[in-house]
Amino acid sequence: MSKGVKQLKFSKYLGLRILTWALTIWIGVTFIFFVPRMFPSDPVENMIGRIQSRSGQMDPVEMEALRKTLRVQFGLEGSLMEQYLSFLKKGLLQFDFGPSLMSFPTPVGDIIKTYLPYTLGLMLVTTVMAWLIGNFIGLQAGFRKHRLSSKILEAVAICIYPVPYFIVALILQIVFAFILNWFPLQSTIVTMGGFGMFIRSLIRASILPAISLLLLGTGWWIISMKSLSGTVAEEDFVLYARYRGLPETRIGRSYVLRNSIITQVTALAMSLGGVFSGSIMTEIIFGYPGVGTLIQKAILQSDYNMILGCITISIVAISTATLIVDLIYPLIDPRIRYS
Amino acid sequence: MLKVENLSTSYKTIDGDVQVLQNLNFEIYENEIFGIAGESGCGKTTLLKVLYDIIDFPLQIEQGRVVLSGEKNGKPFSYESGRIRDAWWKHISYVPQAAQSVLNPITRLKSQFLDSIPEEDRKNETEEETLKRVADYLEELSLSKDLLDAFPFQLSGGMRQRVIIALATFMSPNVVLADEPTTALDVVVQRGILMMLMRLQRELKNTLVVVSHDMGVHYQVTTRMGIMYSGSFAELGRTDEIFEDPIHPYTQMLIGALPRVGDSRARVGIPGRPPALTDPPPGCRFAPRCPHAVKRCTEEIPEFREVRPGRFAACHFAGEGERDDTEAVGS
Repeated sequence: MSKGVKQLKFSKYLGLRILTWALTIWIGVTFIFFVPRMFPSDPVENMIGRIQSRSGQMDPVEMEALRKTLRVQFGLEGSLMEQYLSFLKKGLLQFDFGPSLMSFPTPVGDIIKTYLPYTLGLMLVTTVMAWLIGNFIGLQAGFRKHRLSSKILEAVAICIYPVPYFIVALILQIVFAFILNWFPLQSTIVTMGGFGMFIRSLIRASILPAISLLLLGTGWWIISMKSLSGTVAEEDFVLYARYRGLPETRIGRSYVLRNSIITQVTALAMSLGGVFSGSIMTEIIFGYPGVGTLIQKAILQSDYNMILGCITISIVAISTATLIVDLIYPLIDPRIRYS
Repeated sequence: MLKVENLSTSYKTIDGDVQVLQNLNFEIYENEIFGIAGESGCGKTTLLKVLYDIIDFPLQIEQGRVVLSGEKNGKPFSYESGRIRDAWWKHISYVPQAAQSVLNPITRLKSQFLDSIPEEDRKNETEEETLKRVADYLEELSLSKDLLDAFPFQLSGGMRQRVIIALATFMSPNVVLADEPTTALDVVVQRGILMMLMRLQRELKNTLVVVSHDMGVHYQVTTRMGIMYSGSFAELGRTDEIFEDPIHPYTQMLIGALPRVGDSRARVGIPGRPPALTDPPPGCRFAPRCPHAVKRCTEEIPEFREVRPGRFAACHFAGEGERDDTEAVGS
C-alpha cells in the first residue's frame, strides 16, 4: 500500500471516529438534559417555598411576578425545546451552564472550577498510582507465580477486592479519623492563610480518601493483570523465548508485559474517564470537597444547571479518553491498523 | 554428539506415573541428519524435549541421561541432562512444532533476533553491526533483509517457519532439533523448507534431528533414522537400508503402507491401535498388532540390539534368517 492511500485511509478513519465522538456526547447530554426535568421537584417552586418560609405569605400577584423573574434568571423560560437548543449552544460550545440554582446567582462554571481541581488531583493521582502498582504486582504474580511473595500479594489482593468500597472507606474513616484522631472527620481545605497552610490541609484531607481508593484500585489491577499475564506467560512465544535462553527479566518485560499491557491501557483510559462518577462515594464519605459532593448536592436540590454542568464535563471526559485510546492504540499494538 | 544412555522418563498424572520413554540407548553423530519417526503419541516430541533438556512438570527423568558433547571453534564442550540449558542456542537449538505462534506478535523481527543473540556474542559491536550480520545471514539463506523490519503477523506461514529456522541456526549451533518442521504447510512450501534445512546442514556440517510422522520427509531428508513405537525405538539405522529392508514387523508394515509410483495395489494399513501408555501390554508392545507374534512375544520384552552393523531392532526374531512370511508383509 502506498503512503498516500494509507494517509487517506487514516483521515477517513479519523473523521468517522470524531463523528462518533461528537454523537456520543450529544446523546449523553440530551439524556442528562431531559432526565432532571422529569423530576417531581421544581427548582422555582423550591425557591419560592424557601422565600415564603422566611418572609411569610406573599401576595399572589407578587408571587406570580417573582415566579416569572426566577424562571428567566434560572434559564427556564420558554418551551422545553427552546431551553434545549439554548443549552446545546451555550453549554456544549462555551461550557456556560447558566447560574447555579442552589447557590444563585453564582454561575455553575465558576463553582465547578473551584471544585474540579480537588477531584481531578485526587482521582488522577490515585488512579494512575493504583494502575502502576497493581500492574507491577500483577505481572510478578502472573509471570512468577511460584514465588512466595507473588502468592502472598495475590492473596491480599483477592481478600481486599471483593469488600464493598464504602465498607473499606468507612473502616478507614472510623479507625483513623474517629478512634485514632489522626485525620479530620470532615475535610476542610484552607484556601486562605498562605500556600504552606493550603498544602498541609490539602494533604491532610486527601490521605484517607487516597488510601481507600488505592487499596481497592490496586486490588483490581493486581487481579486483572495477574490473569492477563498468567495467560500470556503460557503462550508459545513466551515458552520459545525461554527455550532460546533469554534472561527471565527480558522475557518478563518485552514478551509478557508488552503483550498484556495492551488491555490494561484501554482499561486505564476507561477508568480515567470515569473519575467523576467514581469520586462521588469517596467524597461523600470523607467529606472531601470535590465535584462528587457537588453532584450529590445538586441532585438533592434539583439544581438542573449544576447537574448538567457536572455530568456534561464527565461525558466529554469519558468520550475524549476513549477517543485518545483509540488513536494511540496502534502505537502499543502494531497489529491494529486504521482501515 | 548426542548420546542417550539408559533413558527412561515418565509423566506424573493423578492416576500415577505414565512411562513415556523406556530404556533408550542410542547415539546421534556429528554431520548427519537423524530422523525420528512414529505415530502420534509414541513419544517423539517427549524424546525431543528430553534431548533439548526441557524437563518441566509433569515430565521427569526416571533414569539415564543425555550427553551433548563435541567441539566448536576448536573448543571441546560437554553437557549432560540438567546442564544442557547452558548450551542453548550456542551448541544446540530448537525449531518448535507450533512455528506459527512462537514469535512475539507485537515486536519487530529484528528485536527478536537481537534477543536471541547472547550478550557475550555481541559485546564488541553496536546494534547496527549485529543487525548487519543478521541481514547478511538472511540474504545468504535467500531471505530478504527487509524481513527484519516486519512483524510476525505480516509473514506467511512458510516465511515464518523460514525465519525461525534462520533464528535457530544463526549462532551456528552444533545440533539443531526440528520438531515437525513442515507440518501444517503445503507440499511446495514443505519442499522449500526441507531444502533449506538440508542446505544449512551441509554448510554447517552439524547435526540435524528431524522429528516427523511423515515417512516421506524421512526418506528425502535423513541419513539415519529411528522408528518409535509406544515409547521406545522399534528400529534404528541408515534410512536407505530401513526403507530397503525393514527388520521390525512394525517398520515392515509401516513401509508397506506407503504409496509407490507405478504400484496400483491397494495399501493395507496396520490393524489395531497403539497401546495406551497408561496400561502397556506385557512383553513386546507391538505384539497385539503383530502378525508374527508368538507366545514369547507377549511375555518377554524384546531387547533393543544391534542386528547388523549399525542396524538396531527390538524384536525377538530380528536377524533370525529370512522367514517365509516376511516378504509377504514387507512388499
